[in-house]
Amino acid sequence: MEATLDSLALGFSVAFRPDVLLYAFLGCLVGTLVGMLPGIGPLAGISILLPATFGLDATKAIVMLAGIYYGSQYGGSTTSILMRIPGEAASVMTCIDGYAMARKGRAGAALCIAAVGSFVAGTFGVVLLTVVVAPLAGFALRFGPPEYTALLVLGLVFLAYMSATSLVRTMLMAATGLLLGCIGIDVMTGHFRYSFDIKELGDGLGIVPVAVGLFGLGEILSTPAKTMTGVVASPRLAELLPNRQEWREAAMPMARGSVLGFIVGIVPGSAHIIASFLSYAVEKRVSAKPEEFGQGAVAGVAGPESANNAASTGAFVPMLALGLPTGPVTAVLMAALLIHGVPPGPQLVSEHPQVFWGFIASMYVGNLMLLALNLPLVGLFVSVLRIPYAYLYPLIIMFCIVGVYEVSHSIVDVWIMLIMGVVGYLLRKFDFDPAPLVLGLVIAPLLEMSLRQSLIMSGGNWLIFVQRPIAAVLLGIGALLLALAAASLFKRGDWRGRLAVAEGGEKP
Amino acid sequence: MTLRRDHVAGAAFVVIGALTLALSGDLPFGTLASPGAGMLPTLVIALMMAIGLVLFMLAGTSPPLATIEWADLAHAARVVAVTAAAIALYTSLGFLLTIALILFVLTFAVERKPILHAAAFSICVAVLAYTFFNMLLKAPLPRGLLWL
Repeated sequence: MEATLDSLALGFSVAFRPDVLLYAFLGCLVGTLVGMLPGIGPLAGISILLPATFGLDATKAIVMLAGIYYGSQYGGSTTSILMRIPGEAASVMTCIDGYAMARKGRAGAALCIAAVGSFVAGTFGVVLLTVVVAPLAGFALRFGPPEYTALLVLGLVFLAYMSATSLVRTMLMAATGLLLGCIGIDVMTGHFRYSFDIKELGDGLGIVPVAVGLFGLGEILSTPAKTMTGVVASPRLAELLPNRQEWREAAMPMARGSVLGFIVGIVPGSAHIIASFLSYAVEKRVSAKPEEFGQGAVAGVAGPESANNAASTGAFVPMLALGLPTGPVTAVLMAALLIHGVPPGPQLVSEHPQVFWGFIASMYVGNLMLLALNLPLVGLFVSVLRIPYAYLYPLIIMFCIVGVYEVSHSIVDVWIMLIMGVVGYLLRKFDFDPAPLVLGLVIAPLLEMSLRQSLIMSGGNWLIFVQRPIAAVLLGIGALLLALAAASLFKRGDWRGRLAVAEGGEKP
Repeated sequence: MTLRRDHVAGAAFVVIGALTLALSGDLPFGTLASPGAGMLPTLVIALMMAIGLVLFMLAGTSPPLATIEWADLAHAARVVAVTAAAIALYTSLGFLLTIALILFVLTFAVERKPILHAAAFSICVAVLAYTFFNMLLKAPLPRGLLWL
């Protein structure tokens, strides 16, 4: 514990440097805006702004990009409460009671509860992250290729199990991502795979063009400008404080949401979305007045908002400790670290302590900044929502083109982004969630390398995956989850179905 | 039989898998003791085709294909066409000119905003973006015809 506190002190010495503070602030500010604006999620925001961090060192880059991620969870609540439009997918549940509170004239109180809940959960998540990551990274040093293969397979199975859409659709998307991840030169044999004599494809498909295309451009193509309304009310500063009764009703949901969100966040999948859904369900179940849910229940705002913030912090655990992304956002953050020459994983803590602990400490500071930003400046942020979408989306397309081009100065990447935009549009039409595709794309090289290394190590004996205890346990859990998920295929109305309905914007 | 959404989606993945498999002919699968470049792609394609088939077979509960809403297709096609033109011109015309043009075409021609508003918006944003990327972030932008 003493060593952790010493390391954290080192982290704060980095996080309180004026330049790091500036980039943390910028990340939080941009994240809040990204979370608020419908059509741009945290993934698109981070992907588009990734090239802007190339001139920075690794610490500042990751501090800023992570600020965008958890900042977007704060910002997402604003449009949900004021306009009943979730700025970000994880804010879907906040729409229900947040908007109902706004219609009762309690918009300010709902915004304040959402911001405080986000702060409490975010800070709680960072405390747990501080305690958990270093020991877990130490444990992960025992992992060899078979354990990593098993862990990656378990990650994909978890993703399918936790999916809001169906198991089949998620696995199809993950398989497509894995296949796209095979494009390029095979590093072990030098074979070109599916590159069609395009030399730029030799390095494979970049995560940025694919993510920006699927989530940035794809979202724009699915959102005609005339469907976006610019009418929004802004609460006054004096109306922001909840009354004593509202504080009392919010306290326990915040605590429960924080714990639940962090645990769910560690699991691969759309953790922050699932966490907010589960939290809403839990609050409704434990409430003495469940009939108030949907009519402006304070717990219906406090719980989900806390849960989605804690989940976004929890998602950093596997990324930092194991070098494994649990979702597309952490995958892009991992790519950002790799671009800056800092491989995430078990060695991160020992080899780059300034980056690791600076990043952790910056999240404490970032959560404070977000609280300060989101409450007094809510009126200012709301004014951004008045920009007509007809002017906003051309701006986003500009950022998409410039952002993707600047990664490697390759126009082929920009064409890939456009193709992926069209693919993303079609996938949405057929009700596919593109997130597992991005995860598959990132995991593919890691999975292939560890699988082939394992087989070479064992002389071609598949039993290596069950003879090593850690790998066997991980695969056992995966098999169990797969069986449970397969059983749910034949059972209607389980929690995934209800989550899919809720994401579609209907009442659960 | 009603053609349903998942019939089309499932069949599409099976066809894509088959086509990719045909393209993978020259990739060696290798052996278990010495896996080749084609091993993972082949396994993944097989998985994809199998799951695609499952999706096709379970399609009975999915909505009919005709219920998919395509009202936004024309708008999406216009945006794709304008973006494609901008990408094609990006390195030859350069950042400033291409970005000003794409913004103008999208706001004026696609969104039917007044011409003066669209022109002012596109020129101001292009210049501001150039200042931001090129001067503040020192990002090397394509210079193109205007050497900018």
